[in-house]
Amino acid sequence: MVLLQEAPPDTLVYMLVGYAVFFGLPLLFILSLWWRQRNLEKDVEVLDELRKEKR
Amino acid sequence: MTANRYLQTLNVITALLMIAATALVFLYAPTESSMGQVQRIFYFHVPSGWGAGLAFLTTLVAGLGYLRTRQPFWDRLGLASVEVGLTLALMNVASGAAWGCVAWNSCWNWDPRLVTASIACLAYVAYLMLRAGIADPERRARFAAVYGIIAFISVPITYYSIQLARSIHPLMFGPNNPNAEGDSSLTPRMLQTFFFCLFTFTVLFVDLMWNRMRLERLTERVEQLKAKWLSA
Repeated sequence: MVLLQEAPPDTLVYMLVGYAVFFGLPLLFILSLWWRQRNLEKDVEVLDELRKEKR
Repeated sequence: MTANRYLQTLNVITALLMIAATALVFLYAPTESSMGQVQRIFYFHVPSGWGAGLAFLTTLVAGLGYLRTRQPFWDRLGLASVEVGLTLALMNVASGAAWGCVAWNSCWNWDPRLVTASIACLAYVAYLMLRAGIADPERRARFAAVYGIIAFISVPITYYSIQLARSIHPLMFGPNNPNAEGDSSLTPRMLQTFFFCLFTFTVLFVDLMWNRMRLERLTERVEQLKAKWLSA
């Protein structure tokens, strides 16, 4: 009976594509958060310096 | 313990949960016999849709909160939830396409679930475009709140589309449409893995929201500094 059962089809590539999406998209989102935070921190620094210069 | 330390702890917990969920998917859950490895997409596909639903529900609550109180916090929460929701919804739709390539022999078809999910994504992309097109912060927040409330209609429509219309998309929970052609049955190990992934994605949603809100607080600080500098 076991010998008559078919092996599961080879769908590994599609699964890998799916998991690339699962890990890739959140990673891109986290990178965009990091990049935006870095820019904002630079803005804070520049604004602080400008305020000090003005004094 | 400061808020930053709490967030760092949550980041670590989320990363560990993601590793554990991935290990369960690949090492604990059995390989499905008719579809093979691609069925493993299901363990992250449904939870990412769940996370997106939670995020868009947050947008709805934030919209109602803003219209009631006019506090900028609610506007920022709405924006953060749309960004997080779109990330999770795109994961859901794109991974579904990869699964569909095998299960339906086509990565895209005009099934009601696929169409409604894509419309929901586009509706929330339009939310971001709407915000980008309005300069006045108060007006932008008001329009975004109203739009966020209306856009939420797309979420229950997406969820119930496979019960209300003829669909080939598998139905996991709830009464089956007698016309539906898709079906699924899970072994105990598959179910345990699935519920662990569902929990993991709920934590991931909270973590991404918290990180995004922290960025919003920093944006607020920069805006305040700019306003101070200009008025001085």
